[in-house]
Amino acid sequence: MSYEYLIFAPLVLALFIYIPTRNLGGTKHVALALFLYMFSKTIELYQSLPAHGYKLLGEFLDVKAFDFALTLQVDRLSVIMLLLTSVLLILVTLSSWSLEKKPAAYFSLLIFFSGAIFGVFMSTNLLWFFIFWELTLIPMLFLVGIWGAEGRIYAAIKFFLYTHVASMLILLAFFMMYKQSGTFDMSLIKESMLSTPILIWWLLFIGFAVKIPLFPFHTWLPDAHVQAPAPVSALLAGVLLKMGAYGMIRLVLLLLPEASQRYAWVLVTLGLLTLLFAGFMALYETHIKKMVAYSSISHMGLIAIAMGALSFDSLSAALYEMIGHALIISPLFLIAGFLHHKLNSWEMEDMGGIMQKAPYLSAIFVLAGLGALGLPGTMGFIGEISILISSIESFGSWMVVILIGSLISAAYLIWTFRRVIYGEISTKVEQTDFSMNRVEFLALVIFSILIIYFGLFPQTLFSEINQAFDSFFNIGGLS
Amino acid sequence: MSAFITLFAFALFSFAIRNISLLKVLSLIALGACAYFSLHNYHVELNGFALSSAMALFEVVLFIVLGAFVLNETETVNITQTLFIGTASVALLESNTLINFIISFEALSIISFVLVANIKNAQQAEGAVKMFIAGSIATALIVFGTAFYLFEGHSLNKTIQSVGMFGAIGLWVMLMGLFYKLTIVPMHTWAADSYSQIKASHAALLSGVAKTVAALATFKIFAPFLLQNLDFSMPILITFSLITMTLGNFLALFQKKVSKILAYSSIAHAGYMLLAFVAVKSGYASTGLLYIAIAYIFMQSSLFMLIGNLHDNSSYITLENLKGLGKKDKITSLIFSIQLFSLAGVPLLAGFISKAVLVYAVVDVNLPIVALITLLNSALSVAYYAWIIKHIYFDDVSLNYNLKELEFTPLLAQVILLGGTLYFGVFAYTVFAV
Repeated sequence: MSYEYLIFAPLVLALFIYIPTRNLGGTKHVALALFLYMFSKTIELYQSLPAHGYKLLGEFLDVKAFDFALTLQVDRLSVIMLLLTSVLLILVTLSSWSLEKKPAAYFSLLIFFSGAIFGVFMSTNLLWFFIFWELTLIPMLFLVGIWGAEGRIYAAIKFFLYTHVASMLILLAFFMMYKQSGTFDMSLIKESMLSTPILIWWLLFIGFAVKIPLFPFHTWLPDAHVQAPAPVSALLAGVLLKMGAYGMIRLVLLLLPEASQRYAWVLVTLGLLTLLFAGFMALYETHIKKMVAYSSISHMGLIAIAMGALSFDSLSAALYEMIGHALIISPLFLIAGFLHHKLNSWEMEDMGGIMQKAPYLSAIFVLAGLGALGLPGTMGFIGEISILISSIESFGSWMVVILIGSLISAAYLIWTFRRVIYGEISTKVEQTDFSMNRVEFLALVIFSILIIYFGLFPQTLFSEINQAFDSFFNIGGLS
Repeated sequence: MSAFITLFAFALFSFAIRNISLLKVLSLIALGACAYFSLHNYHVELNGFALSSAMALFEVVLFIVLGAFVLNETETVNITQTLFIGTASVALLESNTLINFIISFEALSIISFVLVANIKNAQQAEGAVKMFIAGSIATALIVFGTAFYLFEGHSLNKTIQSVGMFGAIGLWVMLMGLFYKLTIVPMHTWAADSYSQIKASHAALLSGVAKTVAALATFKIFAPFLLQNLDFSMPILITFSLITMTLGNFLALFQKKVSKILAYSSIAHAGYMLLAFVAVKSGYASTGLLYIAIAYIFMQSSLFMLIGNLHDNSSYITLENLKGLGKKDKITSLIFSIQLFSLAGVPLLAGFISKAVLVYAVVDVNLPIVALITLLNSALSVAYYAWIIKHIYFDDVSLNYNLKELEFTPLLAQVILLGGTLYFGVFAYTVFAV
């Protein structure tokens, strides 16, 4: 069965759905139906995967002279990313249900984004991977630039330029790989001897470090996160940053294992710096969305540390934390955006005592916040503890410094609860009606259920994640 | 030379047709016939001319683009001139000897001068004069270089032979003359003004059609010479290429007039095209140049034509005027943005894969630093393309908004050009197959 339409149908549909639905409405229904369909197809794909290695879905548009063929192959790692993406697309659509400003264009762009991001996770030809990688920037540019807050234009263009420059390094690395191996197929490059693996490693590393983002390449993200509309921030944190982490795992760690082992300390050091720097920045913030944004970056630092540990357990922990981070940080962004929408302020001092006016919403915020600080029973705890253990296994007991990051996150999150959720009710909160669209609330409830479910039953996720890395460690490459 | 003869004959005949609709229809039929001849390689043998499969593909693209120009025009004289430009372009593309190359090149230059002589205001006059002076210097250099080449006893009625010192000096002087036409820095100064001052559709023909044709023909004729002198030519061409793209991109960043931004972008693209000359020993260089020529002819023609459609005086269109265009004129904005994204090298559009092949050609000859600088230049160019898009979509409608909307035939022309940008963005095998 052909799967290329999962990529190209949304790209084409996005262009054509806009015109008829611009006046009639209904784009959000089309988007939701499409994302549900994509989710169901991904499940179907998952069930048909072989025990190890890739499942070839097809090869299209072959240009033999340049090895430029759209080779669609998936393995467990990519299908897990596809599942995460499709779930988040559904929840982001639900979270944008009551959007009033140009809904047809907004949902058309989301549809376009879905095609591009599926392309990223499904193609194993590096050039096509890059094409889809870059294509995700276009809808994001418009989603931030048109639907964002006051400083949206600056943030959108900064995001676009910053990540585009980083992509150029990735493209150069791909060209060098092709020159040295004669193929753009990532599943074949691994078998070939590259003559300059260190240079390629650095080019790819910096390219993906910008996307994750790691300190000091992170400066584009706080602006983009803060200015983007809340559902788009959730998409940024949940999908776009994960693209960077996926690229780092798939193309840096698994494709260039020797160079990765040699320079793992760079990844770990930058991960630690990101964890601590972003944590301190979050502690300092009074702007609720900036606090969430820095918290998001800080947790990406944790994922980087796990990736740098380069063991089976640490990579599994990193992937688990990637999923956990996506599910935990998204409701925090959505609620922060909702509070700004209602109170017309980002400042936490204007938000005291929300629990008294919106108890359910506050409960979800606290749950997600507790997840972020790593409370047992939530995904955050499992993610953090497994990263801590696997890092200590790889690097020794000094890795307990990770706990400093956890302490900082506990500090800023608990302090945020104190200022926003509890405490004395502010005049603004007193005068505001916090009623929320039911569909949007449903999205938050689903996020909460997933955070608790996978927190209580992490094995359901870990068994799949472990299988994803089994083949890499069994067949070769990493040891 | 079937296409050349057909187009030349029809261009002469077109003087007799005064009804613009009839002229448009007949011109499209003639261009269609030419495309058919090129596609099926119906070739009338003529000494010193030959049609390769790569040039045949480019000719087909050229006729499609000229068809779009014909659809876009509102004056019969411009259609006739467009057909003559096409005729000279075909002759240049098929030239196989140095003498035919020089004559065809001069023919294209002279027709270009006639084209821009259709002056409507003082600005257009200034642009035309600058172009004429630059063209004259280019011709002088080409003739001067030819004299050196002949001094060594070579024949012009052949392809470039193995040369000695004088021959090499002659060919380099000729190349400098040709670089005027290709707008290579520092021979570029006329282009930024001329492209932004002359009528937008003429700028489209000159920067979109004439430049790409000149680049392809120059590569075809001079590649053997550059291959013989790689140690000497490579550092010189790398310098020219990097300075051209960097200066073009930097200067574009500071412009307010959209036509001037496109003019500097055109100069930057000349720098990218020169990479093919740098990487001449790579098998990907000729494919890359062909690809970027195809992509560029669609993108640049479309953008300059759009500016001309928005306002009769292209100098009127500043970034300020484009504010909120996305809200007022969705179709123009969409086409404008897609073509800009393509120029910026956004994937699934012709601009990306064409640039990618060229950059790979540079990597293929072991020049990763040059490739990196090129890629960073490409990223830099995104800044001003994104800035135009920012004005179109993110800003509120301009207060002094009085831009025209696209009529049917210009819209059709734009759809054809957009089709080219999209087609060659996805179906790369069309170019690699030749």
